[in-house]
Parts: sequence; structure tokens; C-alpha cells
Amino acid sequence: MIASFRAETLKARKRWANWILFGILMLTLLLFGYILSYVILKHPPRNFESPVPASVLIRAVFPENLLANVLSPTSTIGAAIMIILGGLSTASEFGWLTVQTILIQKPGRAAVLLGKLANLAVITFLVSVVALGSAALTSYLLVTIDGSSSSWPPVSVLLKGFGALWLELAVWTAFGMFLGIAFRSTAAAIGGGLTYLFVLEALIGQLLRETAGIKEVLRFLPGVNASAVNASFRLTFRSPNAGTQLVDATRGWIILMIYLVLFTILAIVIFQRRDVGGS
Amino acid sequence: MAQALAVETHGLTKRYRTGVLAVNDLDLRVRAGEVYGFLGPNGAGKTTTLRLLSGLLHPTSGTAMVAGASPGSPASLARMGAMVETPAFYPYLSGRDNLRVVARYAGVPKSRIEPVLKLVDLTDRARHKFKTYSTGMKQRLGVAAALLKGPDLLILDEPTSGLDPQGTMEMRALIKELKQGGRTVLLSSHLLNEVELTCDRVGVIAKGKLVAEGTVDELRARSGGRTLRIRATPLEQAQRSLESLLPEQVRVIDGSLILNVDHAQAASINRRLVSEGIDVSELRVDEQSLEDVFLQLTETPTLPSPATGGGEQR
Repeated sequence: MIASFRAETLKARKRWANWILFGILMLTLLLFGYILSYVILKHPPRNFESPVPASVLIRAVFPENLLANVLSPTSTIGAAIMIILGGLSTASEFGWLTVQTILIQKPGRAAVLLGKLANLAVITFLVSVVALGSAALTSYLLVTIDGSSSSWPPVSVLLKGFGALWLELAVWTAFGMFLGIAFRSTAAAIGGGLTYLFVLEALIGQLLRETAGIKEVLRFLPGVNASAVNASFRLTFRSPNAGTQLVDATRGWIILMIYLVLFTILAIVIFQRRDVGGS
Repeated sequence: MAQALAVETHGLTKRYRTGVLAVNDLDLRVRAGEVYGFLGPNGAGKTTTLRLLSGLLHPTSGTAMVAGASPGSPASLARMGAMVETPAFYPYLSGRDNLRVVARYAGVPKSRIEPVLKLVDLTDRARHKFKTYSTGMKQRLGVAAALLKGPDLLILDEPTSGLDPQGTMEMRALIKELKQGGRTVLLSSHLLNEVELTCDRVGVIAKGKLVAEGTVDELRARSGGRTLRIRATPLEQAQRSLESLLPEQVRVIDGSLILNVDHAQAASINRRLVSEGIDVSELRVDEQSLEDVFLQLTETPTLPSPATGGGEQR
């Protein structure tokens, strides 16, 4: 597994697609989540309408709301990017046929996949560290420029928030990785994953969330549970966009961990049993 | 004393989920230290067999031992290097980085990389991305990757596929070089001349079954060894006359009659044709090529090509 992990780190480090995905995530988080939000709310347009004044909303980018502001895009753009990352990491191997080059080296199939999983775990950890760290730095710069005062969340809350961020990114990465192995096609894995995320979870989930029967199903979906975890890191003001959650945060944590294990086990089982090549 | 076997299969069978029976009850024995040619027409089951031996496919039934262990097990993989079908590498990595990735998976020190790059003559292009490589360079990188572990057994699937004549010659020379030091090479090909030039023994596979095995000379001897080639006019009359005398032994290739008979019968055959008023302009003994043997064993109709001359009629 260590041999496989070392090989995976080299591949991941040298792959431009990974850096581009990381860049998009950081750009979205920092530019849209912080800088543009701050600029717009600092100088709101004349037609700006909100039940909460812009002078209050602007506090979303200050240190006191660090976790809520970072976790919020994790359910959408963060999830999408990690599905793509996970899908690329496995499906590309089938597209390029490099899966057979790997499998005729020394490690067994389980070791190959566990090495890949370990590498993705490290990547998601580093993405979480850099995302949270750079958001914190940006937040500090903005509050300093603004001349306002703000306080950081307690360390225990920061650690919990970091754990939530890492767990959510890991679940979506594992989902993408599982789809890559199941479909053996980059397009199908990424297309399937994004369709699930934006059509099934986001669109249908929102439209039918109060429908009896459907509501019970929605309570088991990863996105719904991730939103519940995110909602537990509240903004310091009542956001006009805050909705009610279908599940509580504790259940959200548990369900997300179950999904992480489930996607991992399914990926290993399929990878172990399936033939490589041939028709 | 029985010679050690690098590869041994018993009743190895692979039926795909589509119902296609690709390998059918295959018993294969590759001796340690030999270059074994695995020969068969396209779709005969060569690549499927090599995938089974590499652990990429799970057999439907039967057993196999590869380098002393079951296919796909770390013990087997540690002692074998393989290039199955096309050389598959990461297009965004250089040749050298691709070998670094393979070395890491295989647990091989990176000091092995430069010697194998030199062996396949890729040192100068090693820093360029794999996606910029020509077919020949890709094949050579595939061989380099297969050699990284310094394997006892080397499995090469159609190693000259897509190469130009120069590249083909270089690859053949490389294969001969790889045999040095007692290494076993299992080489699949549909190119008879390649197998004839590089292999100690040959196994012929057709429709998933091993139909013959032995040295090239043994295979020639088994299927008649030599043939009589006769040019006669009128051809049809000569064909009828000889078919009545030697049923199932007469073929027409390129306007000549090819007879699978003992060359000692040449004089009597000549007398018979002349006595029937048939003009015989040429009668000679031909050494049977591996191609003829192959066609007989696999019962595959030949296509016209500059090398073989023309088509075959019965």
C-alpha cells in the first residue's frame, strides 16, 4: 500500500488537472465568498434589497463567521470539484488503460486502491487546510481593511469545523472515485456525479423536500446530511437564506461517515472482482 | 530431468459475460529460459491468455502458475514483467516520470530507471511527455517498464505491432538480447516470420485452443515438412488428376499446385501428368514455411499480400 501511495502522490502532483481544480475551488471561495462579497456589501448598489442590512451581512466575511462562510460553498462547488477529482483519479486509469500497467506491478488490487484512497485522503486534508487557512487570512485582511473588530471562533469549534470540511470533501471525493470505478469512464463518472449533485440532490431535493415519502428518502442523502452539519456552524446573524434542515447535525456526521466507508468498500469490492480489459 | 516451467496452465478457460469463449481448456507449458512464441490469428485468444496470466482477468475455470505462483499474486507479479496489448502510460508524464511511477508501484529503486532507458534507447527522449511519443517509442517504453523489476519472466504482447521495418528489426534484436541471462520470454504475435526469427518454441492457438506446440522445425515436420510445387498446363486437368490420386493433399496457390506428399513421389507424379498429356513446366520440392504450417493448423484463409503472393483455392 505504501508503494502504491508513493506512486499516486507522484501522479497527483504532476497532473495539471488537479491543480486547475484546486485553483477553481480557491478562486471561488476567496474571490466570490470573500473579496467580491465584501466589495459589493461595502458599496451596495442602490437597488440592493435584503431583510438584513448590508452592514450586517458583510460580517459573513469576518473571522467570527469563518467556518460558516467556508463550509457553505463546500456543499455545492466544493462537492462538484471533489467529485471531479475523485472521478478523474480512477476513471482516467481505465481511459488510458494505465490500470493494467499498475496491476501488473507488484501490489495486489486492494493495495493499489488503498494507496489511491490514502493519497486522496491526504489531498482532501491539504485542500481543507489551505482552504481554511487562506479563508482565515483573507478574512483577517478584510476585517483589518474595514477597520472593524471581530473575534475568531474558539479553537475547539475551529477544529470541529475543520473536521466537518475534511469529512465532506472526503465523502464527495470517495463518491467520485467510486463512480470512476463503477463506470470505468471519466465522462460517465463526472457526468453522473454532477447530475446527481445538482439535479437529484439540489433541484429535486429542494422541490420535493416537503413531499411525504420523498422527505424520508432525502434524509438519507449525503448532500442533505452535509447541509445539516454545515448549518450547525451558524452565522452570527440570522441569514435570510437559512432554511430548516431535514436532519440534525449529529445524524449528519454519522450518515456522512457511513457514506465514506460505504463508497470505499464498494469501490474496493468492484475493483477486486472485476476483470480488466477484454469484452 | 524435467525442465522447470515458467508458465503452466491446466484447462485454462475464459468465457466473457457476453458469452464469447475466448480461451478454451488451454494447457500451456513455457520452459524456464526459453523464448516462447505464442502464435495465432487475430481474435484467437492470445491477449486474453496473457491477461489471464497477468492476473488482469479472472479465469472461468482451470488453473495457472506463473513464475511459481498464481497469476496476479504479488509473488508472481514480483518475478514477471509484462506489456499486454498496447503500452499504457500517463500522457501528461514524461517517459522517465512514467517509469518512476511504475518503479514506485513495483517497489524498485529508481536507480533501475536509467539502465532500462538506455537498454531500449530512450534516454534522449526520456524527459519528453509520453503523449508526444511515436508508436515505436511507446512500445520501447512498454518494454522498459516491463524490465524495471529485472524479471525472470517477460511477457510481451505483439511487441512489434505498429512498428516500421527499422523499429521491428530493433525490437527483434532487443528481444534476443533480453533472453541473455536465462530470462524466459513469452511473446505473442500473429506475425509468423517474427516468431520464426526470435523464438525457441512455438505454441499455436486457434479459437482459444492450443492446436500445436513445438520448435519451428518440429511443427514443419508434423505438417508434412516439405511440399511439391508443380506448374502444369492445363491447370484444372492437372488438379483433377492429382486429386483423384491424392485426395485432400492438393491445393492451388498462385497458379501452382501444392502437394503435401513425400518428395520421393515427384518422379511418379511427373510421369502420370505427362502420360495424361499435361505439360509440366516446373516441379520442385519446397521447404514448408511456418506460414504454411500456421495456415494448416488454424484453417485460416490467407489474404493476398506481397509476402505470400496470392490467394488460395481448393
